[in-house]
Amino acid sequence: MPTKDDARHIKRRTFIKALGATSVVAGSIFQPIRSSAGFLASPVTTNTLRPPGAVSEKYFASKCIRCGRCVEVCPYKCIRPLDIHSGIFAGTPLIHVVDIPCYLCMKCVDVCPTGTLRPISQEETRMGLAVIDKHACMTWNQELALCRTCYNVCPFKEKAIKLDALRPVIIEEYCTGCGLCVHGCPVTQKDGKKAINVEPIYAFKEKGAR
Amino acid sequence: MGLSRREFIKRTAALTAASYVGIDLPFSNEQEAHASDADSWHKGTCRLCGSGCRLELGVKNGKAVALRGITKSRTNMGYLCMKGMLFYKLMGNNHPERLKKPLYRARKDQPFKEISWDEALDIAAKEFAKAVKQYGNDSVAYYGSGQALTEETYIFQKVMRGGLKTNNVEGNPRLCMASAVGGYITSFGADEPIGSYTNFERASCFFIIGSNTAEAHPVLFRRIMRRKLDNKDTVKVINADPRVSPTSRIADLHLQFNPGTDLALLNAMAYVIVEENLYDEDFLKNYAVFRMGKEKKQVDFAKYKSFVKDYSPEKAARICGGNITPEKIRQAARWFAKSEGTMSIWTMGINQRKRGVWANNLIHNLHILTGQLCKPGADSFSLTGQPNACGGVREGGGLCHILPAHRLVKKDKLRHEVERLWGIPEGRIPPKPGYHTVAMFEAVNQGKIKAIWINCTSPAQSLPNCDKYRKGMRREDVFMVVTDIFPTKTTELANLILPTAFIFEKTGVYGCTERRSQLTAKAVDAPGEAKPEVWIVREWALRLAKELNDPVIKKCVEPFLGKEPDYELPKAIWDEYTQKLTKGRDNDLRGATYDVLKKLPDGVQWPAPTKEWALKGGTDIKFVRGLDPLADKHAKNDLPYQFYGPAHPDKKLWIWLRPQKGPAEMPDSEYPFYLSTGRVIDHWHTASMTGRIKELMRANPYAYVEINPKDAEKLGIKPGDMVEVVSRRGRNVLPAKIYVGPCEGMVFVYWHDQAEDRMINRVTKDAFDPGSKEPEFKICACRIKKVSGPRPLKPFLVQMKA
Repeated sequence: MPTKDDARHIKRRTFIKALGATSVVAGSIFQPIRSSAGFLASPVTTNTLRPPGAVSEKYFASKCIRCGRCVEVCPYKCIRPLDIHSGIFAGTPLIHVVDIPCYLCMKCVDVCPTGTLRPISQEETRMGLAVIDKHACMTWNQELALCRTCYNVCPFKEKAIKLDALRPVIIEEYCTGCGLCVHGCPVTQKDGKKAINVEPIYAFKEKGAR
Repeated sequence: MGLSRREFIKRTAALTAASYVGIDLPFSNEQEAHASDADSWHKGTCRLCGSGCRLELGVKNGKAVALRGITKSRTNMGYLCMKGMLFYKLMGNNHPERLKKPLYRARKDQPFKEISWDEALDIAAKEFAKAVKQYGNDSVAYYGSGQALTEETYIFQKVMRGGLKTNNVEGNPRLCMASAVGGYITSFGADEPIGSYTNFERASCFFIIGSNTAEAHPVLFRRIMRRKLDNKDTVKVINADPRVSPTSRIADLHLQFNPGTDLALLNAMAYVIVEENLYDEDFLKNYAVFRMGKEKKQVDFAKYKSFVKDYSPEKAARICGGNITPEKIRQAARWFAKSEGTMSIWTMGINQRKRGVWANNLIHNLHILTGQLCKPGADSFSLTGQPNACGGVREGGGLCHILPAHRLVKKDKLRHEVERLWGIPEGRIPPKPGYHTVAMFEAVNQGKIKAIWINCTSPAQSLPNCDKYRKGMRREDVFMVVTDIFPTKTTELANLILPTAFIFEKTGVYGCTERRSQLTAKAVDAPGEAKPEVWIVREWALRLAKELNDPVIKKCVEPFLGKEPDYELPKAIWDEYTQKLTKGRDNDLRGATYDVLKKLPDGVQWPAPTKEWALKGGTDIKFVRGLDPLADKHAKNDLPYQFYGPAHPDKKLWIWLRPQKGPAEMPDSEYPFYLSTGRVIDHWHTASMTGRIKELMRANPYAYVEINPKDAEKLGIKPGDMVEVVSRRGRNVLPAKIYVGPCEGMVFVYWHDQAEDRMINRVTKDAFDPGSKEPEFKICACRIKKVSGPRPLKPFLVQMKA
């Protein structure tokens, strides 16, 4: 015979279940750019990046203690913690550069207590590499459009991005992957991607992104 | 274990919630309309900037859906910048913030309420009539715009001058083009450039001074860049600017001088040309004289030589500072003089100066000395900032001292000629010019102007030292009518807001930088009750005539009565202006009728006295016999060039002796920095239009202050820090951008932002050129200080409070 306590337990469990279901639904609505909702899969993907100085994704989840300091210190509120349905990555910080890019103020790397975000300078940052989609870019695909927003907003203009006969070209050596160009890009494709996107090419390497 | 599971969930949830409260912009991922969506295409001209790019508006089911360039156009060859590709988003019902009904409030502290057009026009007429009756004709004023159509400026000034007997007709081109007008008239005897854009493809040396062409005129810059890239070794580009801008990238030589020392630099280049015998002796003998001083005293070449002796490159390099060396000045002068065709290009860096007219004169001097005029690729070419500053305001009589077709108010003969052409009694137009812009708003401050009509511009944001002039605009005894399409900083101070039709929602002509008039016909309906300005003025004038019991006011709009406002009315106004007023003047536009303009992919460059000539596109280069019909008509001798400009009785070009003069305000120990203002590519002027295009706003959501890295290091300012910019007049707080743009000791801010804290014209100085009356936006003294670390900022645009 169930006691009063049991009944309460069941209720609580049902409640948590319902809550979980709701948040999964809500998550799938509000976060369309999630590549895989798998329990162990890294959430880092195109335009969804770790803050500056991050260690490799192989170690990130085990090294980060989810203290939330980087989230709190970010003046632009671009760093967001992952919520509960992100498996082992729940609570780790992430930047969606389409929404709010990283302005490279480098405050997060100063406050990280574990070295998950390593103290580096602006120029050393490698959150990813901006890649121009030449089929979507107005200046590349339409011969008669003159847009160079990505060039204009780049904090390392003329180093990380140059204009070749008014068309933007990324210089891999200097691109920090801050995503300012992605944020500014006037073209939005059907899948939510821009005509210039930051690919996290360093995140899964042994040394990690920077 | 300090953190329970529940605690963790709570915290994560809180952080997640917090993360959504940032500067996230509420922009959806909506798809762009594509050209294939449109079911008809309508030819027109770009609404933004003075390049005059021709484009086509795609319309589907009465809705504007896309814009594309016209490849046959001689201005842009089909190229458009992002502003030009996207402004269809402001048309018709595409934008929810468009003004749709007349709004009125008796007092400026009350909220607006919607009223009908009948009531609105009655109120406007009564208030203007009341001011005229109580305080005289000069107590009313019109402040127009280089963005209004030519027909609009023309009919406004006709009603003000002929009807209300006042020359208080001004416009925002006073803030951008007045010094160029002064320069052209004093040096060449005729306003507006001699050549055209075609010189971009023929020039072998570009001298770009005080212009960030790459951002302010991107489509024209493409032509310059193409010319340079196709002829890397033979075409030289010299860029002179205190700030390294995107324009400097293609330069072979960048002359970075301290702000306000440009006159010395230009005189030093003349020194080198004279010293090294690089001048064109025949050209000087045939076409030029030397003059100096207010009394325009004629002097000889020897006197000029001794004048420029004072500006040796060594001395000028010391005055100019920056990266200037005597060798750089010599190199620039040699390239300038020796090239096959040298084209100078400038905009606000030269015009918006305490000595803007002199700076213009000194550029023209270099061209006259070296004979770099009238031949292919050789031109002294001032770029305009607004789409119709040339066509509407400079030619249409939109400033206090000029009447339509380059006539001066103070010349009795010309004034009476206009009165006769309008069919109004002689002496109706007062002989004294009205208030120029700064004086006009000073008069508003002093309560001398009781009723002012502001059309298509936002002086509350665009005037220098704008806090001072906003005080006057807030006065309860100053009745303000504002006609616009969106709420602006100025509509906030108005009594009566009248919603108007946007481009492509009405018909009219824009005249761009290169003397080219281009027609845009109506293609979509205006939203709500928005009306074309020409209709508003006609109806208002009829009511004014009744209120003041003055048949002459009615006479001013009589030829236009009963015309349908979308096409017939502007056509009738254009016909009167071109056929009657421009006849026999240097901007003869008689050939450029609406029918001719409709046939051409672009438009007609004046002089175009006949339809046959207009159908060929008009005059590419002025003053050259065989190329300019008026040069043949006015020819006095056998020389190939005939400088028939109306302002120079001797029909010569004038080389002026103009000494170096600094800015009105120099940095000192209290305010140690130069402050300069300018533009970015994604926004235009007060951003009331471009700010409402989300793709453009995204890229530049707010203004920032550019600081040289060396200065930033000294002051401990890091990128993104909030920095206070203070002058003797006002204060801004902006995020810092550390950038090797401005030279050391100079900061740079762009002026599009409407947020009170980031409106840089609250800081700039309202000193103006004594000749052109154009204010010195480009230079004032300021101090900067870090006030906090980075802060999330929100973009800001004025909204209409319900």
